[in-house]
Amino acid sequence: MKSKLFIFIIVSLILAGVFQYDYDSHTNYFAEKNIFVTLPKGKTLEILSFGFKNFVADMIFIWSIQFYSNYNLNNRFEYIEDIYNIITDLNPRYRAPYYVGSWIMALELNNYKMAIRLLQKASKNLKDDWDFDFESGYYAYKYLKDYKLAEKYYKKAAEKPDAPSFVKRWQAHTIYMKDNLTYALKMWLEIKENAKNKLEKNSALNHLYQIKFEIDKKNLEEKIKLFEQRFRRKPVNLKELKRKGIINMIPKDFKGEDYIYDFKTGKIKAKKVFRWKKFY
Amino acid sequence: MKIRAIALNTFKEATRNKIYYLLIFFGIFFVLSSKLVTLLTIGDHVKVLKDLGLASINFFSVLIAIFTGIDLVYKEIERKTIYNILSKPISRSCFIIGKFFGLALTLFVALISMVVMFFLFMLLFSGELDVRILVYFILLYFELLIITSISLLFSSISTPILSSVFTISLYLIGHVIWTFNEFKDKIVNPIIKIISYILYYTLPNLEKFNIKNSIVMNIDIDIGMILSSICYAIFYIAALLILTILIFNKREFQ
Repeated sequence: MKSKLFIFIIVSLILAGVFQYDYDSHTNYFAEKNIFVTLPKGKTLEILSFGFKNFVADMIFIWSIQFYSNYNLNNRFEYIEDIYNIITDLNPRYRAPYYVGSWIMALELNNYKMAIRLLQKASKNLKDDWDFDFESGYYAYKYLKDYKLAEKYYKKAAEKPDAPSFVKRWQAHTIYMKDNLTYALKMWLEIKENAKNKLEKNSALNHLYQIKFEIDKKNLEEKIKLFEQRFRRKPVNLKELKRKGIINMIPKDFKGEDYIYDFKTGKIKAKKVFRWKKFY
Repeated sequence: MKIRAIALNTFKEATRNKIYYLLIFFGIFFVLSSKLVTLLTIGDHVKVLKDLGLASINFFSVLIAIFTGIDLVYKEIERKTIYNILSKPISRSCFIIGKFFGLALTLFVALISMVVMFFLFMLLFSGELDVRILVYFILLYFELLIITSISLLFSSISTPILSSVFTISLYLIGHVIWTFNEFKDKIVNPIIKIISYILYYTLPNLEKFNIKNSIVMNIDIDIGMILSSICYAIFYIAALLILTILIFNKREFQ
């Protein structure tokens, strides 16, 4: 009797395997498809979690990682903002969903504004963390090319208690990028004075060199134009500007060396050029 | 002395039940298996370990509180062993209080065994021992005592299935009653407003014992709030036990 039962179990398992094989041969698990995702709002889910909201947030977050790793789903980004808002509504101080959600939004979906929105929610909920504002600033700087917005976020990040020194350098750099040269010069001088290592100091010196050059270039080229209006020719060299009383002194670069003057074009160049702005 | 004897007997009887061990086993099993879940996540693994561990202990200890609480009093009535007990010089109030303390001891042992496993597990996988979690377990224990007294109340007046439904419903209501706080002030009708106020203050508010989020996310815990929650639990349990005794005293056993 026992051996008959054993044979029956084996046969049943073999038959189940045959049906599974048949099902698999007709199914393409990796075919591209659309999916419909529906989840209640964060507040509703918080009520429905009956005191287990952290657990629910963890589960949705883990599911979202697997879901957004599935490249066969064509419309998987449709509800991405809602999903990460639900997770972060359930557990506003849960860091990982802010990072992961914003990475997916920015680097896969290329929706930097959406990524910044999530990061700013993180910044609001985790007030002492500098990195969410820093990352917002980076997306605004690198991808949106909105230097005003980037400066705003870098400034916010730099004001946080544990913000590393490079955050302030990024802020100073965005100020330079949005052409507020006087303020940028002031900030970089401050960074140079407070530099704690060679890297910080060299970085500040490079920026100061560039900014001083841009300020001097603008002033000198204006004076050259003035000279041209008066004498209907370009000055032979910068000394001529001084000789004719158009400038009081010939500015030097941050290292104390002379600028290069091109007589034919009337343009000023520095010996060292940093290609931080497209027009150099 | 009589209460102590009933309590110890209740504890012995509860620990003879296989469901008790099964629920403890599942509680520990889910705490240990949370390590597997961290393999699927990105970021703070310790946070996920804590979340899943605390949620598992919470869930299974609530099940123990509900099912052992309901089962024990009803069994005494069903098997008619209550006639034996009440024929002795033991008052009905002693019987209920003894049952409550016996269940409290049963829950304490179950909770301690899960907590010890949780701490060992955390020490092994994260190398840290957050003693603040103990505060959560103390509050959870008081929440369990409230659930036990609710289940004791229902089991002394109803059948096990109905008692389970009522207790689980009150447990769920207890965790969403905080939403009522916003709602009750918006009611215009004065009668409904009074009813909603009465309901808000008489139904158990169990969410105040839920400090999992503060513990896991390292948010400061207000000691005053914890003491207030413990006092709330003590008075609520006292009220429920008195109500149970009053109902139990009126009940006639045939």
